[in-house]
Amino acid sequence: MEVLTDNLDDFASGLWVTTRLVGAAFLVAVVLGTLVAALRVSESRPLRTLGGLYVETFRNVPLLVLLFITFPGLRRGGVDINAWTAGIVALGLYTSAYVAEVLRSGVAAVSRGQREAGLSLGFGQVAVLRRIVLPQAFRTVIGPLGSITIAMIKNSAIVGASIVALDDVLKEARVVNSATFQTTEAFFWAAVCYLLLTLTATAAFRGLEARYAIRR
Amino acid sequence: MQPKRPIALLWLCVLVLVLGACGGDDEEQGGGGASATPAADVERFPASTTMGRIQAKKEITIGVKYDVPPFGFKNPSSNAIEGFDVDFGKAVAAKLGVKPRFVEAISDNRIPFIMDGTVDLVLSTMTINPERAEEIGFTDPYFIAKGRILQKKDGGITGVDSLAGKKVCTALGSTYEETLKEQAPDAKLTLVDTYSECLESIQNGSVDAVSTDDVILTGMIIQDDSLELVDGEELTTEPYGGGFKKGDREFGEFLNGVLDEYETGGAWAKAYEKWLGQYTGERQEPPTETLSEVLEAAA
Repeated sequence: MEVLTDNLDDFASGLWVTTRLVGAAFLVAVVLGTLVAALRVSESRPLRTLGGLYVETFRNVPLLVLLFITFPGLRRGGVDINAWTAGIVALGLYTSAYVAEVLRSGVAAVSRGQREAGLSLGFGQVAVLRRIVLPQAFRTVIGPLGSITIAMIKNSAIVGASIVALDDVLKEARVVNSATFQTTEAFFWAAVCYLLLTLTATAAFRGLEARYAIRR
Repeated sequence: MQPKRPIALLWLCVLVLVLGACGGDDEEQGGGGASATPAADVERFPASTTMGRIQAKKEITIGVKYDVPPFGFKNPSSNAIEGFDVDFGKAVAAKLGVKPRFVEAISDNRIPFIMDGTVDLVLSTMTINPERAEEIGFTDPYFIAKGRILQKKDGGITGVDSLAGKKVCTALGSTYEETLKEQAPDAKLTLVDTYSECLESIQNGSVDAVSTDDVILTGMIIQDDSLELVDGEELTTEPYGGGFKKGDREFGEFLNGVLDEYETGGAWAKAYEKWLGQYTGERQEPPTETLSEVLEAAA
């Protein structure tokens, strides 16, 4: 317990860094994931291929490798990117591929009749997607999106452990560990910090599910 | 219907090509050891001692750095583990008549490695200090390094006082984490796992300076001569000691005996010239302090 109380500042600042990191990365992931899902279900074959390429790229490159590409790689290429931007972008891009796949499956679960009805009522392709199909798709994928979000919160630990070296929960726990040598305690409290975030996310998604999910 | 399959195939092709290019990187641990076969004239130790246990398994596991030339590094062309620390490790193994097996021990995991028995001995540019001496046993110092600052040439840093607001890289779990927090409280620390990450970070400009032992920084300058050491007084002196399980007095005495012989017999000076002297042009005598003197000075 002293490990926590003596180093409360470290754990708190780590938790704040991780919270901002996952918050920003979540926004990136949802926005990009939705756009890519729209490409994946579009009528145009080249657009579908483009979406597929995006998903396969970011889903098949390990996050750690992606971090090395976006940070030292871009910097050496002359892009003046800082650690924060690199961390958010890499975690967001990586997660967006999963978001896109889940949304695509959600869209596939909306029956064809919905789309056809929309089209025959005079809605355009984009309007059908935005007003009829995607809202219904979102309702079916709230559960899987919650899982992805929890996975993302845990994956954020890789950002601090990599060369991007943000001072996140895991990093602060390791700093505490290197000062106190209380390995088990330091990482136990890191786990509790992550649990706080994941339980918050779980509660948020439960709330969304209770409100919007389709009951069958 | 799904455009997925051709893409997957494409990726598979890329993967196969890349794997083809990466092949043949066979792991070779230790390597190049003249001391591989147990000699007949080595002293046999009782089985109850750590030395006897090591002799029974015919192998001593030594944690070293893999990325800190000239102390411990993996030679990129031969894959052998080499360096000043590695040479001393081979001397210890030779004295026991066993094969040295080198494993990577980074600053952050080397003490847990000792405590949980993953390694018998750690020789990884580890500074002796009282906090660590609470957790593990140390040999007498086998090298004295000095804490310095590395920057890009004409980087504008003139000493530890001018680090305020600058991004400074050092290894998580190293003594510099504390030293920098004390001596440059307004510097922004970037804490990474390995010094090669610090080198990458100063090269790509995401940090302004690297601070650690002079000899490690010298290794970076050997790799990249656009870097320089900041002149001025050293931040700290860092006596390196070998680490082993706390309370194992016999093993500690044995290691100090090997070290004495290593230093007086001229092997230390030879290793110094081979790994440091020929690059820095400087000369240094083996350290004469004992462990207790070092710990008293630090307390």
